[in-house]
Amino acid sequence: MKILIIEDEKELALSISEYLSKESYLCEVASTFTEAVRKIEVFDYDCILLDITLPDGNGLKILEELKKENKQDGVIIISARNSLDDKIKGLQIGADDYLTKPFHLSELTARMYSLIRRRQFNNSNIVRQGELEIDLLAKTVSVNKTMVALTKKEFGLLIYFIGNKNRVISKSTLAEHLSGDFVDMLDNHDFVYAHVKNLKKKLNEAGCEQFLKTVYGTGYKWEG
Amino acid sequence: MKNLLQKSLKQLTVFAFIVFALSIPSYFLLVDWIWLKELDENNELIAQRIENEFNEQHISDEKLAQSIQFWNEIQPVSKIEFIHRPLSKDSQYTVMRQNPYSKKEAIDRFRGLKTNIKINGQNYSLVVETNVEETEETVAYIAMVTLLFFLILVVGFWILNRRLSKKLWQPFQNTLQKLKSFQLNSQKQIQFQDTDTIEFAELNATLDKLLQHSIITYKNQKEFTENASHELQTPLAILKNKLDILLQSDDLTERQYHIAEEMNKALIRSSRINKNLLLLAKIENSQFDNSELIRFDTIVLQSMDALQEHFKEKKIDVSAEIYSNVEVKGNGSLTEVLINNLLINAIRHTSPGGSIRIILSKSGFEVSNSGEQSLNADLLFKRFSRMSADNRGSGLGLSIVQEICKLQRWTVKYNFEHNEHTFSVTF
Repeated sequence: MKILIIEDEKELALSISEYLSKESYLCEVASTFTEAVRKIEVFDYDCILLDITLPDGNGLKILEELKKENKQDGVIIISARNSLDDKIKGLQIGADDYLTKPFHLSELTARMYSLIRRRQFNNSNIVRQGELEIDLLAKTVSVNKTMVALTKKEFGLLIYFIGNKNRVISKSTLAEHLSGDFVDMLDNHDFVYAHVKNLKKKLNEAGCEQFLKTVYGTGYKWEG
Repeated sequence: MKNLLQKSLKQLTVFAFIVFALSIPSYFLLVDWIWLKELDENNELIAQRIENEFNEQHISDEKLAQSIQFWNEIQPVSKIEFIHRPLSKDSQYTVMRQNPYSKKEAIDRFRGLKTNIKINGQNYSLVVETNVEETEETVAYIAMVTLLFFLILVVGFWILNRRLSKKLWQPFQNTLQKLKSFQLNSQKQIQFQDTDTIEFAELNATLDKLLQHSIITYKNQKEFTENASHELQTPLAILKNKLDILLQSDDLTERQYHIAEEMNKALIRSSRINKNLLLLAKIENSQFDNSELIRFDTIVLQSMDALQEHFKEKKIDVSAEIYSNVEVKGNGSLTEVLINNLLINAIRHTSPGGSIRIILSKSGFEVSNSGEQSLNADLLFKRFSRMSADNRGSGLGLSIVQEICKLQRWTVKYNFEHNEHTFSVTF
């Protein structure tokens, strides 16, 4: 899958492409507005990561350009600006998601995973791993064709793990993911443990193989 | 409070009253002086006429004595008396006595002249007296007229005042109205009405300069806030991402993993502090529109729902009295932050198994949590002043609450009673 990273900060672009290239992602980097526009004109991408503050132009213009040419590339805005105006504007123009810096690469990967799946498989978007079946659209999970009732948070966690297959995810990273925008003032990360435990237990009871492993004592890794 | 013209009206009225009051004795003295002067002249004329009339008769001395006696009987106000030696000089005097022509008892004022006349070569003294208006009466008449004019003046002032305050102050009122509705965060320049009054034109020009300066400063500040955000978030993002990559190394030991995890926790904290500082700066620069109509109860319920698991986690007993349909004016996202901060603060500082009480009424919002001892209310809302050994918070949560309240013109108070910390926000 082809990804375009439009980011002027070299180190950030490097980290993102390094993290992503472990999967089947093929990453290209554009560090200026002009470079990005040139690439977009010629190639199609499955997903574009777009920093809106570029040295030679506003990233939102690129988004407008994409929509004008009716391109189907999925776009995730990554911005250091946490201003609501930018967020609303970006989503209105047609971005699929908005991530505020600093973010975890696992968070980005999970969102990209959902976005690409959503765009590529419109009708039946089912992820399979052994006896586990996840319907991304209906947001249901079944093991050996038997439905497993998961809470919204547990389902979110499962997608997060699936999107970050074979990667180590630390407890604090999961805590940030779970608490979303506002509850990041809480420092007690024990609630993560409770959610993961419940998810594991439910899958286990339904007869699912234990894909989720605990690593280094407090980290997690979904193997597959 | 009185308006400006009413204040000046009072001063003017007092001044006018003093002037009119002083004019009464002045007029009286003047009129009385004219009176007496004219009467003195009149008396002299009469004396001359009497002298002339007697001399023109050319009567004998015997007949003259009889005539004078007769004259004195019928003319009680002018008396002729024979004297051996002429008076050294004429004398004028004022006397109060019974009016001889009046049957009633009436004391009147008379102006008298005592002078010499010569009839048939003999010296006589002649006293002529003429009735003069009494002092009190003159004063009373003058006072009456003066009072009438004073009243006319005051009424005139009052009517003029009302007209002037409408017409003269109209440009000022216009400017004031425009200033009242001015909002810095709307970034709209005010266009003041043209005026031909120097003072108002000057005022408008000064205000215009001031506003322009404020708008520019505000814009710069906003830009600085955004730039600071950008500049700090990027290195933080790089650090975070490098840690994510570090975690994926195959030869990572468990000890190294834990070091990376601690670094990540510290990073979470620094990005949170950064975020909160920026939020504070933005609130203080009033970069938020606070005129939305918010359903407070909906936001409270949403926040409580999102925090449910944290209540459970600490086995906190939550009781809530949420009045429905509580609509307030403010900023939606800030109000959400305010509620979250208060709830999170309560969760963080309640020991496991404790209790939290949430009350929302039409007039205010209250969060109480169980605790052991009272906290210093003065330090509580100060930035980075930590009340407990738990130093993992950003130290800004309650300052943000206070600033949000200030912006939306609410008040927040802390109270400790019956082993309960209570934070109450009054709309």
